[in-house]
Amino acid sequence: MTEEIQKKLQKEFELFNNLKKEYLKAVSQRQQLDSQMNENKAVKEELSLLKKDAEVYKLIGPVLVKQDLEEARQNVAKRLEYINKEMKRSDGHISALENKQEAVHENLNKLKSNLDNLKITA
Amino acid sequence: MEKDYFSEMSTISSAPAPGMHQIDLSKLNLQQLSKLKQQLDQELNVFQDSLQTLKIAQGKFVESGESVEKITPETKGKTILVPLTGSMYVPGTIIDTDNVIIDVGTGYYAQKDIEGAKDYFKRKVQFVTEQMEKIQMMGIEKSKVREAIMMMMEMKVQAQAQAQKATAS
Repeated sequence: MTEEIQKKLQKEFELFNNLKKEYLKAVSQRQQLDSQMNENKAVKEELSLLKKDAEVYKLIGPVLVKQDLEEARQNVAKRLEYINKEMKRSDGHISALENKQEAVHENLNKLKSNLDNLKITA
Repeated sequence: MEKDYFSEMSTISSAPAPGMHQIDLSKLNLQQLSKLKQQLDQELNVFQDSLQTLKIAQGKFVESGESVEKITPETKGKTILVPLTGSMYVPGTIIDTDNVIIDVGTGYYAQKDIEGAKDYFKRKVQFVTEQMEKIQMMGIEKSKVREAIMMMMEMKVQAQAQAQKATAS
């Protein structure tokens, strides 16, 4: 009986650790999106401040390629939209992982107390 | 280049994060207190790192702003050394003293006149400085909480020691 619970405990523990790793990864991804969004927002603002005839270039590899200002604005807006969507997805993913983690944590505690009870009665 | 700092310049809000609530420190036990202190230490470290990065970014913007000041109509036609790499230069001539091209982030470069460039760097320096001030304020708040935790821990330890003494005698 004890052995069985111990095995279960180990399994749950592994699950917990994996979830934790996944969670940390998701959080750092979310942070990256956040900083990307801030950078894009700053660029959007800057582009909106430019005069109509201002020249805009995009760095592609080692060269600067001239871009149409309107096109650049649209591109940044599109990218912001995409990042926003990704952020929502990421938020959902994170909260799902949080819930899962909590459930596994509860399971772990239950198993632990089971084990303790067995030890006391043994 | 400044590019790497754009991402660090995230807007920092000083509003309390959702899920943050008031806790009565005296109700926590020693273990919880030390965990809380650890958490705060970590956050303070993040603040320090951010401040460092922002300071570097600020320096770069200030430097660029000063550089723009040096381009005047009189510099037209003057020769300069253009850095190809950090340690290799080729001679060049300034043809256009009215416009500069500025890296505005995410790979976009925009042409601005000198006044526009000055304004750009001024705005960026101001923005970064504001963010730094916000972080500093938050850091001070956190430090206060950290101190309160430390004091509470000390009190708890002393109370524990006294209780032990009382039972021993």
